[in-house]
Amino acid sequence: MVPEPAVTAAPSCACCTEPAVAYQPASRRHLCRTHLISDVEERVAKTIRETGQVHAGDRIAVALSGGKDSTALLLILSRLFNEQQDVSLIAITVDEGIAGYRTETVRAAQDLTRELGVEHHIIPFSALAGADLDTLLVGREKQACTVCGILRRKALMDAARAACATKIATGHNLDDEAESVFMNVLRGDLPRLIRDTGAGSGDCFLPRIKPLADISEKEIASYLFVQGRFAILPECPYTRYALRAEVRSILSSLEYRYPGTMRHLIESKEKIAKYCAGARAPGTLNRCRECGDPCSGEICQVCRLRHSLGH
Amino acid sequence: MRIVLPDQTLRKVAHGPCSVNEVLLSLGINPLEVIVSRNGILVPEGTLVSADDEIRIIRIAHGG
Repeated sequence: MVPEPAVTAAPSCACCTEPAVAYQPASRRHLCRTHLISDVEERVAKTIRETGQVHAGDRIAVALSGGKDSTALLLILSRLFNEQQDVSLIAITVDEGIAGYRTETVRAAQDLTRELGVEHHIIPFSALAGADLDTLLVGREKQACTVCGILRRKALMDAARAACATKIATGHNLDDEAESVFMNVLRGDLPRLIRDTGAGSGDCFLPRIKPLADISEKEIASYLFVQGRFAILPECPYTRYALRAEVRSILSSLEYRYPGTMRHLIESKEKIAKYCAGARAPGTLNRCRECGDPCSGEICQVCRLRHSLGH
Repeated sequence: MRIVLPDQTLRKVAHGPCSVNEVLLSLGINPLEVIVSRNGILVPEGTLVSADDEIRIIRIAHGG
């Protein structure tokens, strides 16, 4: 069962005498505003350093939806690399065209990039798929996340390449990573479970990095809130169709009752990937016969999707 | 105590000093899925809250 933090009128920071704003179950420490901010930023820097995610000369395309995770990501990376002349940042926002949802987050992304002075590219779905997501999904709403995911990855990759980026950084946090492991296990999808998207693939795919992978969703929200940057934004209307929403709820409940569950899942995935490394068959990478993009079969996922959508 | 719920609705409860964690559990909310402010300041779940406090519960998990 959960080791609850001690109850006091106002807990103090473990590092100073200021009142605490957050409790970290992993370290069993209370932290004040200042130490929470520095702790999160130092852990992101550590993840980048230890996993060799960024090198001199990198031009990093930050996938900026305008939601909390990507907002925190751009904010932290811009602080970490502010004085580093040999690493540059750009931001890419994919506008799927989801009524009542995307407009506000795109505006938040524009405000943030303007404030930070980061080059910003907004890519509408219609430019890629001929229509916005709402139109593409009429009568097939349950496939929303699959359709959106395929097209969004393609839009992001194309825009990053066009902007001469060397890497794509996404705001996946600890919770997201644990959810992905759990979902891949539920689907029995071993190849996806052990796939290393950080390595890239020759000249075909840009490496994807996840600097927030060690930070929990709650820590990210707290990090933004204490800086006055946590905005309550609308939820994607298609979330209710997603397996991820159910997995999120299950894992969150397990994490509360059995702290460490999410980290254990991620560690399991890393162990499995390690065991499989030697046995992994080197997949042949072809070029899509229709668009020329790299793919494992004859036609890439995007072209297959375009066909199924009648385009 | 005035409690602003994640959907912005307001609830007034009479019970006296208790921890934020207890407030959340009494409302059926998983503390990992929200952050909580007391009178506008973010507080950890172990904080005691009293009858004259305003507690705001903010949901953090969003799909998309």
